[in-house]
Amino acid sequence: MLLVARKNLFAEKTRLAISIGGIALSVFLIGILLSLFRGWSEKVGSFVEDVPADLWVASDRATDFAAAGSLLPDFLGRQLELVPETDVVSPLIVRPLEMSRATDDLDDTFDVQLVGYDPKSGLGGPLEIVKGKSPPGPGEIIVDIAMRNRHGVEIGDRLVRGPKSLTVVGYARGGDFIYTQVGHVTIDTALDFLDFQPQGRTFFVLTLNDPSQAKLVAARMALATPGVKYIPGDEFADDTRDRILGNILPILLVVLVLAFVVGLAVAGLTIYTATVEKQREYGILKAEGFTNPYLYRVVFEQSMVTGILGFLVGAGLTFLVAPFAQDLVPQFVVYVRWQDTVFVAGVTLLMALLAAYVPIRRLASIDPVTVFKG
Amino acid sequence: MTDKPPSILRLDGASKTYGSGEFSVKALDNVALEVKGGEIVAIMGPSGSGKTTLLTIAGALLRPSSGTVEVTGIDITNMGESKLAAIRREKVGFVYQSFNLLASLTALENVQIIIQSQSRNGRKPASERALEMLDTFGLSHRLHSLPKQMSDGEKQRVAIARALAKDADLILADEPTANLDAKRGHEVMQLLQQKAIELHKGVVVVSHDVRIRQFASRILWLEDGQIRDHE
Repeated sequence: MLLVARKNLFAEKTRLAISIGGIALSVFLIGILLSLFRGWSEKVGSFVEDVPADLWVASDRATDFAAAGSLLPDFLGRQLELVPETDVVSPLIVRPLEMSRATDDLDDTFDVQLVGYDPKSGLGGPLEIVKGKSPPGPGEIIVDIAMRNRHGVEIGDRLVRGPKSLTVVGYARGGDFIYTQVGHVTIDTALDFLDFQPQGRTFFVLTLNDPSQAKLVAARMALATPGVKYIPGDEFADDTRDRILGNILPILLVVLVLAFVVGLAVAGLTIYTATVEKQREYGILKAEGFTNPYLYRVVFEQSMVTGILGFLVGAGLTFLVAPFAQDLVPQFVVYVRWQDTVFVAGVTLLMALLAAYVPIRRLASIDPVTVFKG
Repeated sequence: MTDKPPSILRLDGASKTYGSGEFSVKALDNVALEVKGGEIVAIMGPSGSGKTTLLTIAGALLRPSSGTVEVTGIDITNMGESKLAAIRREKVGFVYQSFNLLASLTALENVQIIIQSQSRNGRKPASERALEMLDTFGLSHRLHSLPKQMSDGEKQRVAIARALAKDADLILADEPTANLDAKRGHEVMQLLQQKAIELHKGVVVVSHDVRIRQFASRILWLEDGQIRDHE
């Protein structure tokens, strides 16, 4: 680093701290928002992704698992069982609901993604039982462990909706959608609890004898059963993510841009005022024969070092605060990826580069003759 | 027979006009000047007489509107900006009225950075030369002091050390005693005179201060951009 750049930068410690603070705040905001987005993205798609099905079957207008806007006839399941490529075919009844504990006010509700599954195949059922019994019996429900953490739902509690109720008999893991959690019941319980038409099903999940042929089989079966679509699990998971996060993304982008602008403004203003204050000294250097590129380098290096220090503080803060925030607010699910950290580092460098631009233009216009005045 | 001392600075018919048309101002009018090694030329005159313009043209900071300028035999009249910067870096040392030291650098660093800027000097020789030069000027105890920690006399000695440290042939001093009391001013001019003769530098001092007359080899009186009188 050039001597003048280093000395100028560290001579004004308060200014340097403000500049680093501004960039660090911006890096922290960008980092934490990205991590939050990744965390949510990871959570809301994971249940669909982790169900060991090769294909999800839904009616043509269905968009995703969360909305569960699909209605299929029960006999479709029997037809699919006759297809030679299928191994296991299992029906699901899925419905997003608001429920409350029997001991709480009726207004004190929380969201539940009720999933009725066939305990014989287990496909689409609880992914991992943490505690309690499985499969659930008639009128019983296994809830995701996150429901206990967020809403205090305990084994033995009765969850009510209107005149009907389900008794919690176990906890499972892997069904947390953050804003809602999966609750598993048997198909029969689901039919009864939801007053669902007896011959109706929401989805079918199926495994194939040769999973590598999933796309081919899906295309063939779609031709044979108009109005029905067959989707690989990872694609259906992405559809679910898009549905939930698609609404948040524009807001997130606006906040990300604001965070970038705040960081840029603080860094740009502090570096600009530092340059203006040192204008006479830059004039002296010009008079002494230092070229414009040398002076540009002085400002550029100051800006870059400020950016790097701001990034280190901001990234450190993100890594430090994220786990505590998650403990404090369960919905604050963050996932810090190294790729995002690299991206934020790139954004910070861009910030530093832009922050140096206006001061550098100012340097170009300094007339060295002015140093002979006063 | 002895060789004639080389010409360090030569201005021939140098004029400078600011602005154009009826608003133009002629700051320098057909000035001829030659300064040789070991010579101190004092340029005196009232405010607005063109002293600073003459100094900045001689120092490769400003181009004349007409006439020619040579520094150590090199014609710099029509040089581009980067070549003029190189001339300033390699051939010209400046001593300013307000010292113009860099506030965040120590005395040693203020001298060192100027030496380092020259293509021929690396970091280590620069440091050694800066130490040597400050020692010569009796500033060994001030090596690591910032300008704000030094007296005005010390600052001007650092500034002269800086001007001489890069081994430039031409030293241009603009009112070097203006901010100093009589004693300090005398010391500084004595030092400048001693070094100019010892190191064979050509020195041009622009000043209002009549006390510098005793240190000058020649005195030129500048008025309305023209040299009116020689001593």
